Amino acid sequence: MHIQRGIAVSPGVAIGPALVLDTEGVVIAHRNVGPDGVEAEVRRLAVALTAAAEDAQDRGRVLAQRLGGGVAGILFAHSSLYADSAIRRDIEAHIRGQLYTAEYAVSRSLRNFIKLFEALPADTHLARMRADLLDMEKQVLGRLLGVTPTGQLPLSAEPVIVLASDLTPSETAGLDPNTVHAFATESGGPTSHTAIMADALGIPAVVGLGRFLSDVSGGDRVIVDGTQGLLILDPDPPTLARYEAARRSQVTDSGLVAVTLKDVPAVTLDGVSVRLLGNIEFPPEARGCIDYGGDGVGLYRTEFLYVNKVTDPTEEEHFAAYRAVLKELGPDRPMVIRTLDIGADKFSGASELLAGEKNPFLGLRSVRLCLKNLDLFKTQLRAILRASVFGDVRVMFPMVSTVTELRQCKALLRDVCEELEEAGERFNPDLPVGTMIEVPSAALMADVLAREVDFFSIGTNDLVQYTLAADRNNEMVAGLYNPADPAVLKLMKMVVDAATRHGTDVNVCGEMSGEPLFVPLLLGLGLRQLSATPRKLPDIKRTIRSLTVADAERVAAEALRLDTAQEVGRYLREQHRRIRPDAAD
Amino acid sequence: MTANPDGPLRRTVAVANPHGLHMRPAAAFAQACKGFAAAVTVRHGDKAADGRSPWELLLLVAGPGAELVVEASGADAATALGRLCELLLAAE
Repeated sequence: MHIQRGIAVSPGVAIGPALVLDTEGVVIAHRNVGPDGVEAEVRRLAVALTAAAEDAQDRGRVLAQRLGGGVAGILFAHSSLYADSAIRRDIEAHIRGQLYTAEYAVSRSLRNFIKLFEALPADTHLARMRADLLDMEKQVLGRLLGVTPTGQLPLSAEPVIVLASDLTPSETAGLDPNTVHAFATESGGPTSHTAIMADALGIPAVVGLGRFLSDVSGGDRVIVDGTQGLLILDPDPPTLARYEAARRSQVTDSGLVAVTLKDVPAVTLDGVSVRLLGNIEFPPEARGCIDYGGDGVGLYRTEFLYVNKVTDPTEEEHFAAYRAVLKELGPDRPMVIRTLDIGADKFSGASELLAGEKNPFLGLRSVRLCLKNLDLFKTQLRAILRASVFGDVRVMFPMVSTVTELRQCKALLRDVCEELEEAGERFNPDLPVGTMIEVPSAALMADVLAREVDFFSIGTNDLVQYTLAADRNNEMVAGLYNPADPAVLKLMKMVVDAATRHGTDVNVCGEMSGEPLFVPLLLGLGLRQLSATPRKLPDIKRTIRSLTVADAERVAAEALRLDTAQEVGRYLREQHRRIRPDAAD
Repeated sequence: MTANPDGPLRRTVAVANPHGLHMRPAAAFAQACKGFAAAVTVRHGDKAADGRSPWELLLLVAGPGAELVVEASGADAATALGRLCELLLAAE
């Protein structure tokens, strides 16, 4: 038995067979071939390298059109590397010398080279070659294994525990919560994408475990304890028995919470009802959203359609993803689609793209990126409009920072409506339009913005980051990032007040709304709609059902009088203990 | 530049690119080599690369300022050497 300790990022216990993903998410099934298989392997290798070279050329051309020649140069350089006979000779030598399969030879050969670059100081350009080589490895392996390397995980029919070095966002996107019961990764921190996703999908996860992949093989029975942050390899019988028991009680517990609260309305003690919606990222989460008592989807992130893809998603891919969620929600529950919300840096695996923008969070991203790539934007808007006849579809634009931007988005939406009308397509001409309020300039202009839209959605994660100018993933300044900061509360109050004056709906969809701690404050500010990770909904509902609006208003008024984030935090904890004595801190 | 009638022409240059001989400059160098008849070898310490192979050039792991010995032999060796060293001496 071997126990490894990491960072607990998503609670719960899972026991099951391991699905071991190689560093970049590709499973290599066989290592060796017989002597008579060697020539076939060598031929497969040549075909895969040629295909990878051609594909890199194609992707380079696509990228050159979209983002200019500089970044595309990386893909052209990749292409020349795949075509280089020196690399082929080296891999071939592994096949012939060790009777390796082409897959294993590619991996071994490239890993040897990667080690050369790993030894360099991490901040140098050459050290970043490591990422390029890993990307190349994955591309070639993808071709050998006959899958398009979009980063999708191999689908597994039986329940497994995914063990990996790290998961990319697109790999996480491919996870099916029905078959993946937990995951554990060597790297990653509490705010990594992997951690957030695990939490969203409600599966136990431990990250930052350090090296362990060399100690485990696919099919081994492992235990992930997402509560304690443990990964247990080769558990002994007493440990196994203890965890089996823990797992059984956990199923009962979570089932109980959901059952007891699912059909109970989210109303305050004085009878004011609050609409609870779920934030989802992938279509399969819609089911869970309803199971946890959500009245609909308040934030449907659509980045998964774009990230790490070779080409942009087609209108049909968008449409299918929206229809899939509407099928779960039915015709009456709202589904708020947020248009593409990422930066140019997320569009390819090539590491040097990151160097393109010195300050990506203040750069070309979200709606700014869309307004510069109208074809990309219109494709999504067309699909949203077409989906709008199948349910209560609403659209919202992220990272709007000026009134002009919002008007441009609306004008474009009108153009798309006209195009659809001419094409004889059906759509809802009164599609509700909203804007995210997540940039301080938008909060300050809420009075004007409120006249332009049907609803606001306050994205607290970015609002906090931009208000305090602090990146929460940067440990040196993460202390400044605090949703309880009085500056954030004042901006939120401005937004809610402006919305109320104009009769504009307002919702909060950041992580703040998933914390019961903030619920009294949010209701007190005047919010009657909250959108959060579905599994947080029962707990939020419990807090809502434990207070009156007058009580909440007192909490908000008092919090707004305090000077510092620390004082606000302390006060809110105090109040929450009073309102919900049953809840642990 | 050494002028030995029996051996290759040889010149030592320091990599001027502030990021070293990384992917794009290596690909550009290899591409340029293919325009000459001369055989080109690039050495960094005890490592040697065929100038036409971007892969081998990368594996020289030549950071900014690294001293590289460029050798060219064949009909247009002198022209090739001049052009290729120019590439390495370019900051971009």
